[in-house]
Amino acid sequence: MGVVLRTERLTKRFERLTAVEDLDLEVHEGEVFGFLGPNGAGKTTTLRLLCALIAPTSGTAEVAGFRIGSEDEQIRASVGILTEQPGLYERLSAEQNLLFFAALFGLSPPVARRQTERYLRLMGLWDRRTETVATFSRGMKQKMAIARAAIHEPRIIFLDEPTTGLDPDAARTVREFIAKIRGEGRTVFLCTHNLDEADRLCDRIAFFRRTIIRIDTPARLRAELYGHATEFRILPSPRPEHLVKVQAVEGVKNAHLENGSIIVSSADPLLANPRIIRALVNAGAELAYVSDRKASLEDVYLKVVEGEDGG
Amino acid sequence: MTGYQGSLATTADRRTIVRAVCVREWREALGNRLLVGMTVFPPLVILAAGIAAVATAAIVPPSEKDVAALYAAAPALAGLDPKEAVQGIIATYFLILFMLIPTVVPLTIAIYSVIGEKSARTLEPLLAAPVRVGELLLAKSLASAIPAVVVTWIAYAIYLGSVGLLGSDAAVRAVTAPRWILAILIMVPLLTLLSVNLGILISTRVNDVRVAQQIGGLVVVPIVGIGILQVTGRVALNNESFVSTAAFLIVSDTVVFWLARIAFQRENILSRWR
Repeated sequence: MGVVLRTERLTKRFERLTAVEDLDLEVHEGEVFGFLGPNGAGKTTTLRLLCALIAPTSGTAEVAGFRIGSEDEQIRASVGILTEQPGLYERLSAEQNLLFFAALFGLSPPVARRQTERYLRLMGLWDRRTETVATFSRGMKQKMAIARAAIHEPRIIFLDEPTTGLDPDAARTVREFIAKIRGEGRTVFLCTHNLDEADRLCDRIAFFRRTIIRIDTPARLRAELYGHATEFRILPSPRPEHLVKVQAVEGVKNAHLENGSIIVSSADPLLANPRIIRALVNAGAELAYVSDRKASLEDVYLKVVEGEDGG
Repeated sequence: MTGYQGSLATTADRRTIVRAVCVREWREALGNRLLVGMTVFPPLVILAAGIAAVATAAIVPPSEKDVAALYAAAPALAGLDPKEAVQGIIATYFLILFMLIPTVVPLTIAIYSVIGEKSARTLEPLLAAPVRVGELLLAKSLASAIPAVVVTWIAYAIYLGSVGLLGSDAAVRAVTAPRWILAILIMVPLLTLLSVNLGILISTRVNDVRVAQQIGGLVVVPIVGIGILQVTGRVALNNESFVSTAAFLIVSDTVVFWLARIAFQRENILSRWR
């Protein structure tokens, strides 16, 4: 996969505040790239830098093959952005909103009409195309804003919190849309606080606070930070000697009690788990079930961010 | 699964972008009754009042006291039939108001066209499109100025017709004087553009519509003064001064537009507006 976005020591300062510092990043063609960080981490500023809306203080970036600073207009033509607020023209109809932006992106009238119909249908808004946007719900406006970001089929789509405030149905439509454009080989740069969403959609994730803290696939981040954990549920509840027996098993890195279970981390669960089961049965434990315990992305996120805080 | 076919975006014809923004501004404005009213109502009021005043002057003869005051104020009119002279003066005064309306009315619309977009959060998606600042401001300037100028021209045409039907020869001569026709056809658009561009310049730097309007109200006073001086003959509007005034206004329009373009900074607008 080719690199569609690359930054080198990209930095943005606002007077004394450094919003983005020495950002080094590579995003590949056709991937959904998650950009996660706490409030005020500089995510929106990064998005604005990458969409050539604001200029960097130092460093360089290449987006969709164009350099920031010297080819800003081409960058803006090659990307689509969903901003924090939908920012639609409320007195215009859904159709008029999209046709207007299609004209700005240089789409000919027939192509603009075709694309408008395509995206309104995709977002389930075709039947309401003539209604003014002011009458739309928050979720419908958000879907409209996503359609607007995609109307010119950009190579990269930047989405800033696309499902915030949406009902489950609208959120699912948006997630399906992201999966669809990824399937078309386009790149999605996803800023989100929704860790479950990032986990489900993203090929890679960057934890960000002014600069990149960690970057990898969700699975690798989990494995690296938590290892492979397995839950051994014992009835009625595990006794201290059960825990001692488990801790003595070869390959076990860590074991602790939690809500009637023993949680075990091991380097290779396929090797360690049969031994642990044998040890527990031999120790007289009533083993109810054994299940794989996947650390949530939230656990990973908190560990990384707290680690940065020195917590 | 369909593979990515590439971006559909092309380098849009710059005129297409300006036209698209203009049409969008008008569509939005048409949905805003207050803005439509502010554009149409003042010329209608001036028009109706002007026609009524000229008609009244034709019916009701002026008193001796009024005539004495008129000749004292305008000695050049001495010797004219008092009724004719009064109609001529009244018809001319209303033309002055026609000159003022398009410099004041579109100011609010121009100010709102930038601040309104900032507060509605529509500016960021717009700036994320491949639109140049100059094109955006030109479109906003034209979108504010064109309706005001057109409405004024229509009102002036109706006024001319009405004065021709109801007024005296002196009144007709006054309103069809080349000085006035040129003023309405050329000075009105130039003054309107100056007012609109000042409104846009202010709105790029100010966050609040009310503050912008207050500043705009002050800034527009010299423009109004220029118009009044020209049309009342305080400054003689002969061919030479007409050309020089028009040239001055063209330069002023260009300079103010250029200043607005410099003042309109994407970065400040996006990062400092909350």
